[in-house]
Amino acid sequence: MKDYDFDGDKVLAKEFLENFADANGRSKYMEILQEVSNRKIRAIQVDLDDLFNYKGDIEDFLGRLTENTRRYVSIFSAAVDELLPEPTEAFPDDDHDILMTQRAEDGTDNADVSDPHQQIPSEIKRFYEVYFKAASKGRPSTIREVKASHIGQLVRISGIVTRCSDVKPLMAVAVYTCEECGHEIYQEVTSRVFMPLFKCPSSRCRLNSKAGNPILQLRASKFLKFQEAKMQELAEHVPKGHIPRSMTVHLRGELTRKVSPGDVVEFSGIFLPIPYTGFKALRAGLVADTYLEATSVTHFKKKYEEYEFQKDEEEQIARLAEDGDIYNKLSRSLAPEIYGHEDIKKALLLLLVGAPHRQLKDGMKIRGDVHICLMGDPGVAKSQLLKHIINVAPRGVYTTGKGSSGVGLTAAVMRDQVTNEMVLEGGALVLADMGICAIDEFDKMDESDRTAIHEVMEQQTVSIAKAGITTSLNARTAVLAAANPAWGRYDLRRTPAENINLPPALLSRFDLLWLILDRADMDSDLELAKHVLHVHQTEESPALGFEPLEPNILRAYISAARRLSPYVPAELEEYIATAYSSIRQEEARSNTPHSYTTVRTLLSILRISAALARLRFSESVAQSDVDEALRLMQMSKISLYADDRQKAGLDAISDTYSIIRDEAARSNKTHVSYANALNWISRKGYSEAQLKECLEEYAALNVWQIDPNTFDIRFI
Amino acid sequence: MGGPAYDCLTNPLGAVRFSFVNALSSGYDPASSIGKDWGVVDLFRHYFSDESAISQVPVLDSSSIKWVQPKTLVRFRGMIQDMLGNEFYAGAYKDDTTWRTNKYSDVSQFPEGSSTEMQVWERRLLYCVPVPGQNQWTECSSQELKNRFLDLTGQNREKRVRVDEEMTDSMDSNTLEAGLNGSPFKKMKVGEATSSASESQVPQSSGIPPATSTESLPCLVKMYDSPESDLKLNDVVEFLGVLTFDPIVMMDTDSLDENSDDLSEAESVQMPSGKVPRLHCLIHRKLETQHFLHGSSLLPEPKSPQSFKEIRESLMKYLTSLLGNDHIAAQFLLLHLLSKVNGRVDNVAVGKLSLNLIHLNKESMSIFGTQLSDALKSLLPFTQSIPLTIEYLNTASFGPKKDYRINRLMPGVLQIADGTHLILDETELQPGTLNSVGVENANLLKNLLECQKVEYDFQYYKMEMATDVQMLIFSEGKSNIMPADLVLPFQPSQVNSLEVITPDTAEAWRCYLATCKSLSHSIGQELQQVVENDLVAARQTDRSLGSQDLSRLLTMARMMSVSYGETTLSLEHWQMVLELERLRKERLK
Repeated sequence: MKDYDFDGDKVLAKEFLENFADANGRSKYMEILQEVSNRKIRAIQVDLDDLFNYKGDIEDFLGRLTENTRRYVSIFSAAVDELLPEPTEAFPDDDHDILMTQRAEDGTDNADVSDPHQQIPSEIKRFYEVYFKAASKGRPSTIREVKASHIGQLVRISGIVTRCSDVKPLMAVAVYTCEECGHEIYQEVTSRVFMPLFKCPSSRCRLNSKAGNPILQLRASKFLKFQEAKMQELAEHVPKGHIPRSMTVHLRGELTRKVSPGDVVEFSGIFLPIPYTGFKALRAGLVADTYLEATSVTHFKKKYEEYEFQKDEEEQIARLAEDGDIYNKLSRSLAPEIYGHEDIKKALLLLLVGAPHRQLKDGMKIRGDVHICLMGDPGVAKSQLLKHIINVAPRGVYTTGKGSSGVGLTAAVMRDQVTNEMVLEGGALVLADMGICAIDEFDKMDESDRTAIHEVMEQQTVSIAKAGITTSLNARTAVLAAANPAWGRYDLRRTPAENINLPPALLSRFDLLWLILDRADMDSDLELAKHVLHVHQTEESPALGFEPLEPNILRAYISAARRLSPYVPAELEEYIATAYSSIRQEEARSNTPHSYTTVRTLLSILRISAALARLRFSESVAQSDVDEALRLMQMSKISLYADDRQKAGLDAISDTYSIIRDEAARSNKTHVSYANALNWISRKGYSEAQLKECLEEYAALNVWQIDPNTFDIRFI
Repeated sequence: MGGPAYDCLTNPLGAVRFSFVNALSSGYDPASSIGKDWGVVDLFRHYFSDESAISQVPVLDSSSIKWVQPKTLVRFRGMIQDMLGNEFYAGAYKDDTTWRTNKYSDVSQFPEGSSTEMQVWERRLLYCVPVPGQNQWTECSSQELKNRFLDLTGQNREKRVRVDEEMTDSMDSNTLEAGLNGSPFKKMKVGEATSSASESQVPQSSGIPPATSTESLPCLVKMYDSPESDLKLNDVVEFLGVLTFDPIVMMDTDSLDENSDDLSEAESVQMPSGKVPRLHCLIHRKLETQHFLHGSSLLPEPKSPQSFKEIRESLMKYLTSLLGNDHIAAQFLLLHLLSKVNGRVDNVAVGKLSLNLIHLNKESMSIFGTQLSDALKSLLPFTQSIPLTIEYLNTASFGPKKDYRINRLMPGVLQIADGTHLILDETELQPGTLNSVGVENANLLKNLLECQKVEYDFQYYKMEMATDVQMLIFSEGKSNIMPADLVLPFQPSQVNSLEVITPDTAEAWRCYLATCKSLSHSIGQELQQVVENDLVAARQTDRSLGSQDLSRLLTMARMMSVSYGETTLSLEHWQMVLELERLRKERLK
């Protein structure tokens, strides 16, 4: 048996409360005590992180405290009693104070202090409550992990609140007055039931051998607010094939009314057994129920900005950031089971990362969210991509166009059943504020419903003017839409515009639009057959050839990236401007414009570049980012118009040549580096092999000379 | 230890206590062990190492509950329907200087008042119900066991008391009285007196949803020691352990429910042991189909393929005559009956093969449907059938749902054990309006067919549970609510009167199905190339073939191969599959 020195610990607690200074050097707890003394607040929350950081001779103190927490609550309360400063502000006395003064006066002429029932318990004098908040380091436990060995200890548990009882008064100290002798008798109540006193214990009654008649004084007694709640494990903590566990939580005093069903919270609390009483005890036999006596409640928020890194995540992110290939690595780890589609995955990664929102001085807002639309034949895993993205995003809503009306997506005004008041109820897009909203079957939505999305996609708000309510709700969400072509399958004989069948006003709001076609070619069929065979033989997916990153690492990396807000350096402005104008000119030149290049396109380029810079953890956008952004946009166009170009009759080689020639002419150079050339042509959607072919062919024609080592181009 | 000084069968707790004393003497420290096993499991595992010893233990069901004695060893075969979490109990306490244990029991053997030190241990609670859709033939006949068992207990009663007294003596003399008080002997007498009373009383009223039918007996299993990952929801398990079951404590709801806002949901309150027996599990095992077969285990694999072929032929003949001489339908039905989910890759359940027989109307359904479902009942361990009507879809709860008011998982129609066969009859369906429940139910069905997953509703979130269910759908046209893997127009040519099958044949067929299902399967290198080419060719000719269709062909190939008792695919079988598929396509035109 260990020797417990509670008095010594009380001194330690006192020292800590008196001397602890937070990061700013202010004595945090003394300030709280002053507030308490002024009756401004009732709760004193002792943060164990502070105790951990507190320099002093308290090595074991923390350990003892977490193992035997309930005792230390009273130790700290006693310490606070001694430390409590005089109030510095006047406040009106309430009933309680008047009673206390009376008692203090009574106490002097009451010699019977040896009787425990007549001593005023310190509990009744206190108008504050002491709570511990468990140290924040480490992961909170799940309900499953709390074992019998944790009984009596301070634990930190995360879960979802499923039920709450009403707040009820709980008697903390029962006060009686004796009819015979007029004494006040106190009885501290520590459990949920107590046995009322029937005999006056005062010495006068005893001497007179009278039983007395103690009458319970409700006004003088001390009550605490008490609420019972049920908490359940979060879905992600439940092992496969198991049922989520639940736990009872008791909330007292200031902690009541802090949670409501559906909240995802983290409780610090003391894990305690609750003995059955009365008839239940007979039935329960040896069994004890347990509950968590909550000492602090923290609400979880599922937002990138508030994402807290787990212990080794920060390190892993740093390691990943050093790796040059992070862009590819991350994008490949999105939906690794879906084969191919590298560029689409890259685009989706950028959608997750997004660009910073900008608010100009005149109040204009420029959105940072990247909107993407995936269009394609049935059965090309569009929906799976969508669902995967929603899983990776900390806040994502998945909905289908057919299943949601415009109101369901934006917001509805409803009449409350009970109060008959009009209330606003947010739809999917509002719920996905600061997150991602994936809308499947976008094409199957009614035209009228689709228009509701216009505002969300550009202004990022939802405006309501219905039934006397005019308001606008934030819907800062990135829209990821998936749609089928107009006739179910992509009809190659028709123009892309006919196939897509979405109004230009809506299309221009998407930063990137991808067309995924299920083309009949031998290679992909063979690939598919091989895949299916492999799956059947080994009952697992074929090796991916790389190690996909875990979703939680992905999430952590993205949230780290989202904290940056990269700017566009002045020297790049010119570059972006020329790139934009060349796209415009190209469109003007062609007689059947494929795309609607507007200022929105320019903003898209900036957004995607900024997202790329964020991925590199860079504070400024580099030229390579812009190039990649242009390449992605070009690739997305090519996915739409690849066949079109072939019809135009320009063969790839001569087109490549003309690109290089034009670019070289624009920059007035006769010398073009290979890297630059590759950059230009890949932006237009040509491959490196085609460039090589082009270089050779035109070198043979003596149009240019090729450096044999570096492949740099020199025009003759 | 010498010979067993206790009878594991009739006095298991004596054995537990005896081994506890042994363990204590060899240095077992209850204070630091958190209730870890001290050798009891090994002891019982050793005792019940062979099937014949296990078959001595009575199976707990609604009939045997009337005569089995509390505190004896019983078996319970059931499906884990809900997991109630941990229960903390006073596991060991010090009686003056000696440690005593309460493991594997609900009430203390000795009065607690004198205990100075107490250790709180924990056990897991599993709520088990008889497997939904379990067929008659799987049940163990316990009649003969009953007689034998009653004999046995009669003989041993004397002996057991003696052993018990010896033990109490050896432990501590001053607890003698207490020992007698709580001794199995007395308890059992009480149990005897009242268990007959419990027969007459109307069992199962409110609060215990799965026990709505008087036939099925739920059981609350208390698990010790075994790792949590061992048992999963919906597993079919045989538990062997100590029965405690206390009909004295009668339901007395009025006194309990004075406060409806009370969040207490202790199991003891909701499920009084008078209604739901408790089983303190000593050993457990997961049940496969072969465990339900009488005596015979699986067909030995090396046995000549000839015997497989013979049984296959006789079964095929039976199925063909069942299906009105539609040979192709019989072929597909056999493949369907052999399907099971072998693995899951991403979102695809590999190995599922649901069958949709179309061109059936109400009239033909009443003939062939009933015949077929009766036949399946005698062939498969668990079968269920769901008649799809608008009303049923709108009212039934398909998906299990958590009820937070009583903190229990309310079972749904689709909470079924792996390997269950499900007949969905769409011929009854009439045009009508589905309400939100109906839509949800239809979605659940669709999801089950497509991914073999059922969504469990936990109100604040949903959880998908993987299942392995064979689904046979009857419909007039191709069912759109339930997209099956195989759609086959059913073309019977005549109605055959059913021949009577002998129990032996039925047993052989059951055995055959179970064996085939358990066979592993692979595709050889050369054939792989052939299959690959065939698949590519098929896709080249028909662009509408997706990966599911290719996957289905491979599943059929596997089933075809194992139905002949072979573990590698042969060219012959592969071509049979392609031919079957061609015939099916032809019919669809």
